[in-house]
Amino acid sequence: MKQMLLITALALLAACGQGGEANIVVSDAWARPTRGDAPGVVYVTIQNKGGTDDRLVSVMTDHAAMAMVHQTEMSNGVARMRMAGEINVPAGDSIKMVPGGTHIMLEGLRTPLRTGDSFPLVLKFRESEEERVSVRVAEADAQ
Amino acid sequence: MSLKRLRLGLWVLVGLVAAGLVVFLWKQAEPQQPVFSQTSLGTIGGPFTLTASSGKPFSSAELNGRPAAVFFGFTHCPDVCPTTIARLTKLRREIGKGDDALSIVFISVDPERDTPAEVDNYTKLYNSPVIGLTGTPAQIEQVKKQFGVYSRKVEQPGGGYSVDHTATVILLDRNGQFSSTLSTEEGNEVALDKLRRITA
Repeated sequence: MKQMLLITALALLAACGQGGEANIVVSDAWARPTRGDAPGVVYVTIQNKGGTDDRLVSVMTDHAAMAMVHQTEMSNGVARMRMAGEINVPAGDSIKMVPGGTHIMLEGLRTPLRTGDSFPLVLKFRESEEERVSVRVAEADAQ
Repeated sequence: MSLKRLRLGLWVLVGLVAAGLVVFLWKQAEPQQPVFSQTSLGTIGGPFTLTASSGKPFSSAELNGRPAAVFFGFTHCPDVCPTTIARLTKLRREIGKGDDALSIVFISVDPERDTPAEVDNYTKLYNSPVIGLTGTPAQIEQVKKQFGVYSRKVEQPGGGYSVDHTATVILLDRNGQFSSTLSTEEGNEVALDKLRRITA
């Protein structure tokens, strides 16, 4: 009986480890310029090259008081912005944030974002290590 | 009254109740928030007075003689508003008739925060002319009603607030008459066709 349990446990462990670890790569991080005390927006691409699903848990930057993952929802022509919660990044998949959907909102910017500037952003994942990325401030009319 | 008549009468009653129920449920199913379909298209727009980003009064008559793309938003809107204005400036470039061919008008739905100076800052971010307008809360309410636009303040978990708002762009011809709308979901090809029609 004990042996059976051990075998089952080992089999379970093997199943968990089958795909290997999550391997997160964050790229193409860009922001729009801001003026005054208006919040900023950052879009990134998150790639999971590993074999295990991962989740984006939180975002941090020294450049703003708060960084939050938000989601713009459209219904009946009305745009609503809401907290997005954790973002699932399935194994072997990638999430590209684009304007009008999931985005990172920066509230309480230390200084307004100016085209051509760049600043560091840290993305925290459930499985992988923290990812540090440099955000490039694009032109206001970047799409 | 014969039993037959009574039975018929009862069936008629059942039918009426059923019809009433259908109408009631149908009414219930209608969206609660104002959408364009509930506004007569011919009456969208109309004359208004707001405040320009210079701080001076702005009359809608100043838009006459040139078609306009009117968008309601707020300066603390990081995603949808800049994306929409960026899209409009790009589409205007694609039409290839210069900045004078189409006015891009941004009207604030957040008059408490959006002073003329804030709106001025916001619209100057773009490398292309954008007319930024704000006003008193009463003026904004009035213009929203004229354009069939919905907006509502929503408290944010970390303090402050965001504004849910109609993100559909309203296109007016050079006489200030409603022409059509541009939604965020429709492709740029359809949008370009609509813009070419009013700038022709």
